[in-house]
Amino acid sequence: MTLTERIQTDFKLYATQAEKDSFFEQRQQAFETFEKLGFPTTHNEEWKYTNMKAITAGAFENTCIPSTKNNNYQASVFSGIKANHLVFVNGSFNKDLSVFIEPDSAIIITNIAAARKQHADLFNKHFGKYAHTETVALNALNLALLSDGAFVYIPAGKKLQDPLVILNFIDSGDLNVWVQPRNLIIVDKGADITLVESYESRGEHPSYINVVSEIFVDENAHVEHYKVQQQTNESYHTNYTQFFQQSNTSINQVTLTLDGKMVRNNLHFYMNGTNCNDLLYGLHISEKQNLVDNHTRVDHAQPNCFSDEKYKGILKDQSVAVFNGKIMVHQDAQKTNAYQRNQNILLSDEASVYTKPQLEIFADDVKCTHGATIGQLDEEPMFYLRSRGIPENEARKMLLNAFADEISERIKIPELVTLLENEIEKKL
Amino acid sequence: MLSIKNLQAEIDGKKILNGLDLEIKAGEVHAIMGPNGAGKSTLSAVLAGRADYIVTGGSVTYKGKNLLEMAPEDRAREGVFLAFQYPVEIPGVSTTNFLKTAVNEKRKYNGLEPMEATTFLKMMREKMEVVEMDKSLTSRSLNEGFSGGEKKRNEVFQMAMLEPTLAILDETDSGLDIDALRLVSDGVNKLRNEERSFIVITHYQRLLDYIVPDFVHVLYKGRIVKSGDASLAKELESKGYDWIKQEVEATI
Repeated sequence: MTLTERIQTDFKLYATQAEKDSFFEQRQQAFETFEKLGFPTTHNEEWKYTNMKAITAGAFENTCIPSTKNNNYQASVFSGIKANHLVFVNGSFNKDLSVFIEPDSAIIITNIAAARKQHADLFNKHFGKYAHTETVALNALNLALLSDGAFVYIPAGKKLQDPLVILNFIDSGDLNVWVQPRNLIIVDKGADITLVESYESRGEHPSYINVVSEIFVDENAHVEHYKVQQQTNESYHTNYTQFFQQSNTSINQVTLTLDGKMVRNNLHFYMNGTNCNDLLYGLHISEKQNLVDNHTRVDHAQPNCFSDEKYKGILKDQSVAVFNGKIMVHQDAQKTNAYQRNQNILLSDEASVYTKPQLEIFADDVKCTHGATIGQLDEEPMFYLRSRGIPENEARKMLLNAFADEISERIKIPELVTLLENEIEKKL
Repeated sequence: MLSIKNLQAEIDGKKILNGLDLEIKAGEVHAIMGPNGAGKSTLSAVLAGRADYIVTGGSVTYKGKNLLEMAPEDRAREGVFLAFQYPVEIPGVSTTNFLKTAVNEKRKYNGLEPMEATTFLKMMREKMEVVEMDKSLTSRSLNEGFSGGEKKRNEVFQMAMLEPTLAILDETDSGLDIDALRLVSDGVNKLRNEERSFIVITHYQRLLDYIVPDFVHVLYKGRIVKSGDASLAKELESKGYDWIKQEVEATI
């Protein structure tokens, strides 16, 4: 059974079992939208270089059962760090592995399934309000058949003391796995959170994960958000992260894509207030025939906002990278400052990059720049280092670390910096 | 120590060195002068091992070994040091880290353990004094945002740290004002000793007022056409290169 067929069967099954409340109606509608839109194909401009055929034609089971062999979840790089852990295995919440160290009981950290009942008001107010489903097929699919995910609420003026790590393990040790996590993060006025979304896979079978995260950031709040993708060469990953922010908010977002057969990140910021300040940085190291596709969009909808975007890629072997960054400056968004850069280093003749930095400006008093570079490691610095006795391989690592440095210096969790350094050491 | 015989080299199919001969003994300072396009920088590039320069003939023997067969890093670890005419800015690589790696790579090559961190820092402090280098520069990225003078001082500082047996100074005086020139030259002079040899490549005689060479060679059309002592440099300063060119043309 292909995934397309599987989706229909699964939804029918869900429909027979579900309580027929408003949530069901919402999901029923999303399912119909998905049926109408279908999986994106390469005819769609936004998916020109990223072919989902291997996923749609593949056979995946929507299962929440972990495999019997590979459940070594403690081996995660995040296990050792002092943080709150929300653990999901194949999309289902694992309470035993989760850790809560936050002393303030007013802060809510739980799973979507529980929050829908226990925090119905908050849930209904925000859920599905930010990530569009009408036009985005994969968001509709996620809503129709979501498994579970994180629900977080930081009340006004509160600060989450230690980071929250949402650990998603995709365990395809026994069979092909398909998972659809959904996260809802609500950061109230003046609140502060450091959040990591981690995706790790276990097992040799193919897997497909389709994630949607909605993050609402109310006035004067601050969010540190890290997305870390370490999946296998048989893992497919699509995600859609939507930040919706009010006035005087700041967000520091870093996306690290370290492994995975195919990763498509959609990262969206909607600045619905004035004086917003967003930093979005990304780094990927890709190898083999893997593909990393970063689609970002920053909507400057109100005046006096600032955004700085920098995405970097290191490509080995026959890997492919796609970058499409769109900065949309709306008519009212005067005094916008928006910067965007995409830089790529190709370590092989067979790797390729498709990059499209985009600015769409409808206001007249703005300062915006964008640009992209694709190149090899410069020969001059390489020769300089070698002429001081540093061997070629070591020199290359030094230069690539230096290249990655601009991104890693944005990371405020030391363990994450170490992870990145080790990854560079291992791969290059 | 260094024996260059009939060296011929080209870049992009263009022949630059046309049978260059040069013998350097331990502790000697040789100045290579010559008009633009004579092949001065090609000589330093070939000795340091730049890949885009192709050696088409001749030999270079350094401490009894075939230098031309060695990778650039091996040449460095064998004690060859090139002070760049245009030192490269490398953002993100700290000067300290870079030097620690370089020093320890050389030690590894010589079968020594990596240097203790405290010993290394002490050595850095001492060697910085050689060129009166500001301490803040070593915590910055390598050459990034350094002035022309700071970059050249950093080259001599690196030379002091790596303790080469053959140091090649490629137009080290270019872009320096008189104060920086004095500082850099003083640094080089402090590093002169009986084992260490220097090749000082320069267009102008000015540098040789500070770094007084044992021998001066004139490079023209890829060959050494005239050799002498320090007084030859003075003669070139007053008379220019034209008389040498004429002499050479007359003999061909």
